[in-house]
Amino acid sequence: MQIRIDNASNRPVYQQIIDQIKRDIALGRLIKDDKLPTVRVLAAQLAINPNTIAKAYRQMEGEGIIVTRPGAGAFVANLDSSLSRTVRKKLLTDVLERIAVEAYHMQIDRQTLLELFNNAAEKFNVPARKG
Amino acid sequence: MLTLIKREIRDHVVYFFAAVIFSSILISISLTPISESRQHYRAVYGLGVALTITAIVISGFFAMGVGQMYTDKNRKISAFLSTLPVSRSRILIARIVTGTLAILTLIVPQLIVTIILLRLYAPPVPVYSGFIAEVFAGIFLTAFACYCIGLQAGWSSSSIVPAMGGFGLTCILVSLILIKGFGLHIIVILILFIIASLIRIRHLFTSTPL
Amino acid sequence: MDENVIKVENLVKYFDGRCVLDGINFDVPQGCIYGLLGRNGAGKTTIIRILLGLEPATRGETSLLGRKSTRLPAKIRGQIGCVAEGHNLIQNYKVSRLIKLCKDLSLNWNDGAFDHLMETFRLPRDRRVRDLSMGMRAQLNLSLAMAIDPELLILDDPTLGLDTVARRQFLELAIDIIQQQGRTILFCSHILSDVERIAERIGILAAGKLVVDCSLEELKTRVKKLRIIFPEYPPEDLYLTEIINRQIQGREMAITVANWNRQKQAILETFKPSSCTEVPMSLEDIFIECTRPDSEPIEAA
Repeated sequence: MQIRIDNASNRPVYQQIIDQIKRDIALGRLIKDDKLPTVRVLAAQLAINPNTIAKAYRQMEGEGIIVTRPGAGAFVANLDSSLSRTVRKKLLTDVLERIAVEAYHMQIDRQTLLELFNNAAEKFNVPARKG
Repeated sequence: MLTLIKREIRDHVVYFFAAVIFSSILISISLTPISESRQHYRAVYGLGVALTITAIVISGFFAMGVGQMYTDKNRKISAFLSTLPVSRSRILIARIVTGTLAILTLIVPQLIVTIILLRLYAPPVPVYSGFIAEVFAGIFLTAFACYCIGLQAGWSSSSIVPAMGGFGLTCILVSLILIKGFGLHIIVILILFIIASLIRIRHLFTSTPL
Repeated sequence: MDENVIKVENLVKYFDGRCVLDGINFDVPQGCIYGLLGRNGAGKTTIIRILLGLEPATRGETSLLGRKSTRLPAKIRGQIGCVAEGHNLIQNYKVSRLIKLCKDLSLNWNDGAFDHLMETFRLPRDRRVRDLSMGMRAQLNLSLAMAIDPELLILDDPTLGLDTVARRQFLELAIDIIQQQGRTILFCSHILSDVERIAERIGILAAGKLVVDCSLEELKTRVKKLRIIFPEYPPEDLYLTEIINRQIQGREMAITVANWNRQKQAILETFKPSSCTEVPMSLEDIFIECTRPDSEPIEAA
């Protein structure tokens, strides 16, 4: 598992860890019952205060994203697809908003933008409907 | 405590060497007349010279006092030791014990030789033993007093000039002893002077920022 | 033992008539990792020296592990590991002699831990301390401080002179210490990314005052920089409380504000800005804003 801490960000470090783990889960890089590294190991790997990591794990456990089994460690919980889907939709929304801002500055109108988007979706085989 | 003393001795071992060398010189001075003549008064004559020279040499302990404190300030020894679980008082006590040992290194052999010579060559009159005790107590206390002046001068001053003032005081003290000779009243004065000096040194040492 | 390992109350220090510390108050509870930040000459080293009893305070009181700094008994001193600025080791001793001295005078010395550190840092034992590079002296100092299994570690710029790899090694060492529950660390550093990694609480010293004293997480969520654009000139009378800094450039005003909340948002909106966006601030940005000469201290929310 690769986590990168961004020092220039205004998000607290523990929040960044949570964000990245959630992202990995949403993108399918981490699946149900995958074992997360122990607090100790992750602290040593990232060179961060272990209390910060412990806090991130506690919060994720509280939100139901991970479960800790005594003596075994922390594992990715059985997330229902709707929760994961919500996270994925949010991630895409962030990207789309950036595109919208760019389009505005470049004076590309909405119709042209939709055309460009459909071309891209076509090129990468994005299915037209869910299911 | 022992560690501190050993450290102090090792750092200032040069003074111990000097003490041993001077001690040897003085003892040979004491012993030379004996080889030349077997007459007792001549033997004791060597002793007299040796003792007078001793009185002058002990002013050298002023240098030792200055040296110990100066190297401490220069090399930040107390500053480092303070980060360890030792109190400043203990550092100071170890320092003074070392100085005392150096003084004893010089004086004790001399004392032993004097006692032996007097036993061999002089009539066993009680006044002599009392005399030896006074003389050597006086020598020890004078040396210690010079040492104390040195300790104060070395700690309080960062340049040579004020230290010279201390040296001047030492010379005055020693000349006084030489002129007035050793006696009970001198011993009492020296003891009072030493007590006052030690109190001042302790206060200075434990309250200066390191 | 009292909850707070370090206590500083109304600390005031004057040097030659110049006020260096003007009423400093902070506490470090047991097990906390406290990062004390400040520009060069702000007074961090002075605070540490006063805490260790090396320097007297002009007014106020400080205490470590429940005892006053001016009267720290040897037993307490033996539980404190410290790395001072400039690494005041005895320069002309051989490393081996210095180690033996520390070992003989310490109350509990962990040989295994110390040897492990010496090996990790690859420090030579037969050289004189003054012949070591600055980085090696720093590492020796750290090893000596850690070898006594300290309850409290006080580090003044511990990574000064260390190269990138050595700095990382130090961080890993610090984290190892943190893993052993209950240890408290107070450290000063200029490398804010390091501070961000291991500190739990932050104090920022500027102009003789502690302008910030809160947890790192709080600091990042409470201090915000906003970029506000007005249709015409920014109003002169925009009075929001707790503005740390304010810059005006044309129609744009950038304010750094503490404890941003709905109330302040509402007040801002009455001035009818055309846009208001948040500018993300890293710890470094926050530090720079808080240490500007004209900035205001942040009060607790």
